[in-house]
Amino acid sequence: MNCKELVYLLEDYLEGTMEEHLMRDFSAHIEKCEPCKNFLKTYDTTRILCRKMKPEEIPAEVRTRLKEFVMEKGREYRKDIEKYRERAVCERREQVAALIGAYVSHRLSPNTSALFEAHRDRCPKCGAFLRSINGGEAPSPVPLEVEEHLAEFLETLPLGESPASG
Amino acid sequence: MASERLLDDNVLLEELRVGNPEAVEALFDRFHGKIYGLAMSIVKNESDAEEAVQDVFMTVVRKAHTFKGNSALYSWIYRICVNTCLMRLRGKRRHETVSIEEFMPMFTEDGMHASPIDDWSKEVERKALDKELGRMIRKSTENLSEKYRVVFVLSDVEGLSNEETAKILGLTVPAVKSRLHRARLYMREQLSRYLSEGKSH
Ligand SMILES: [Zn+2]
Repeated sequence: MNCKELVYLLEDYLEGTMEEHLMRDFSAHIEKCEPCKNFLKTYDTTRILCRKMKPEEIPAEVRTRLKEFVMEKGREYRKDIEKYRERAVCERREQVAALIGAYVSHRLSPNTSALFEAHRDRCPKCGAFLRSINGGEAPSPVPLEVEEHLAEFLETLPLGESPASG
Repeated sequence: MASERLLDDNVLLEELRVGNPEAVEALFDRFHGKIYGLAMSIVKNESDAEEAVQDVFMTVVRKAHTFKGNSALYSWIYRICVNTCLMRLRGKRRHETVSIEEFMPMFTEDGMHASPIDDWSKEVERKALDKELGRMIRKSTENLSEKYRVVFVLSDVEGLSNEETAKILGLTVPAVKSRLHRARLYMREQLSRYLSEGKSH
């Protein structure tokens, strides 16, 4: 093990998840390498300092404002719960349709594409459905079961990236 | 203060689904502090954080009926929060972030440290440094790009496990570990530079 490899493994070492044979190499190296010894100590100190970070506290007036807002929206929601539900159903249908559309026209972002194909190959229901449309236009609406699966798939995508590219 | 039984996640969700205002209140009381703190550490300014928190609660209330319970309630809410904040950032002019590469340790061709490594770990134990270092670390995280910052905040500030963080962000556990490791290497280097500057004057 050299210094570069050792630095790469620091997290495993400090978490105590390092494999035994690596552990032996790790200890042997650090025993005789002053820079790595120092690097380990300062890296560990860094972790400890970082974990002491506290989230920003909410100022009292912001809390009051937010609570009023949220409670008000909550009352609105109660009044129009059916309307909101319908809207949510439509939104979900649209998102799933957009996903399938992007898939058949090869417009999925590379990341989503890999995850989507993995889902397709793992899930018999979605796999069968996608084979049945065979690259052509999807029926609208898609079968409920597939819609539910794909909606759930959308929920697990990495955050901050849109499913379709461009 | 909302009633005791609303402290149970399943009861809370049931009641949110039918639009019970007490449930909305219980949801707010329980999560507003966490959500605000998380939003602040991603969007980095008060007014954006406040708007993000509004959006998060509206989404949670309106989507309560779609929540399947495959994950814990708080992790679903965190996911909505991170997503809301990232969307918000995307709409903005990009905040200047530093390139993390400039802060990664350097090695020679045969994998040895390319520059001397000082041990400043003892120095940090001086009590007086605590507040100052806290500020300095906060400042440094703000300069990290979102990709690293979000992982860093969820694990170190919120204290979530790598598995929980991975689930919230839709990443694999190795991807979380690697981002976290790089964020810590960056922070270690920032601290090194900061502490050696202090020594020189
Ligand atoms: Zn070494």
